[in-house]
Amino acid sequence: MKKHLSAKTKWLIVIAVLLAGLITVTAAVGATHPGENAVQVMLTPFRSAASAIVRQVERFYDYISRYESLQAENEALRKQIIAMEEDVRSADSLQRENERLHQLLGLSEEHEDYHRVSAYIISWVDSSWKSAFTIGKGTNSGIEVGHVAITEYGQVVGLVTEVGPNWATITTVLDSALGISATVASTGYNGVVEGALATGSEGLLRMNYLPTDSVLRNNDQVLTTGSTVYPRGLIIGYITDAGFDQTGVAKYALLKPAADLDDLEQVFIITDYENQ
Amino acid sequence: MLKYFHLTKRQWQGILKWSLYGLLTLLVVLLQTSVLAKRPILGTKLAPLPALIVCVCVREGPEKGGIYAILAALFWCFSGADFGNLSVAVIPIGAILSAVLCRAVLTLRFLPTALCCLAVTLLNASVIFLFKLILPPTVALENYWRILLPGVGLSMVFVPLHYGLVKLIGRIGVQDAL
Repeated sequence: MKKHLSAKTKWLIVIAVLLAGLITVTAAVGATHPGENAVQVMLTPFRSAASAIVRQVERFYDYISRYESLQAENEALRKQIIAMEEDVRSADSLQRENERLHQLLGLSEEHEDYHRVSAYIISWVDSSWKSAFTIGKGTNSGIEVGHVAITEYGQVVGLVTEVGPNWATITTVLDSALGISATVASTGYNGVVEGALATGSEGLLRMNYLPTDSVLRNNDQVLTTGSTVYPRGLIIGYITDAGFDQTGVAKYALLKPAADLDDLEQVFIITDYENQ
Repeated sequence: MLKYFHLTKRQWQGILKWSLYGLLTLLVVLLQTSVLAKRPILGTKLAPLPALIVCVCVREGPEKGGIYAILAALFWCFSGADFGNLSVAVIPIGAILSAVLCRAVLTLRFLPTALCCLAVTLLNASVIFLFKLILPPTVALENYWRILLPGVGLSMVFVPLHYGLVKLIGRIGVQDAL
């Protein structure tokens, strides 16, 4: 076979190896490669168009396949609305009383001002070992590396890890590379939430370094504790299981992510916030 | 039009052929990243691009096909592929060796091409997996047969389509040359 390899072919193999080495060195430095930026900028309109078509097809498919179940759900919701309207009438009077008492005591509501940029997901990383996606907005919309992506309900989706003029890569909470300082809402136990992708528990999160005497219940809500990166009080997930880690000196909990990443189409990037 | 651009018919056909290969590559990248990567099948994401690169390289020969393989692998790497830097070396080398092997020992028919596609896709996925085993955050070894092998196998579903389209595009200019 060696005699069939021409000099030009051998040179091509050498060039391929050199290019791979060059890209590895650039990646090791930590900078976004100019080639990557150029390709991502060029691909963004095509990806936006492709993902828009896919979204429409999926919506149409959902509409067809779920028509009967939606009808039944609609009927149940109608009954629920009638019952709730009754509750609202009684709640209205309680609300008015609550507002009066609030004013009387001079309490101010705790609230964080999030400056958000909405963006559609245009592509996903095609590796089974990494959970990340690309959105069709970037530095032109004020997005920077380190910004947090959430859903419209304030559920953590991930972190911006790469950005270009009209694109940004968001590594999701499922990826093992992310670590988020978190707290169990009902009990106040603190820990670090990491993606369980690499441990064989795909689709789940793992909250590590919990105290050994911590009491954890299923469906307990886990929130961000607040840091320079993550605003306080964002919902990360719900506890589904717990146990002792390999060392035996700490507990861990498995969480179901609050954000439904499988059906995610749009995310909101927090570009600025005031932690009060 | 040919006169306007000072192109011969053969050059024009060459441009058309490689443009169609480029368009096909773009479509497969979009399919892989915007459609298939969103919905993993059996917990694995399919990767039809390495097989397409091999099909083109086998059809066009190790020299022209090799240049295409390097450019296509670079394009995939820069489109945000995980450990794409490894694919820049593994896929072109695999595709070039496949082209040489098919022309010297095997034939350009479907079965040898499909086997080469399988070998290169498996090699590329395995090399990336090897690095994932070593570099943190590491993956579990059992994922090799639980996720990687089914993923490579399922990705081969696209090979007949790739082969057919590449054969069709590869015919451009062949009739005139004869």
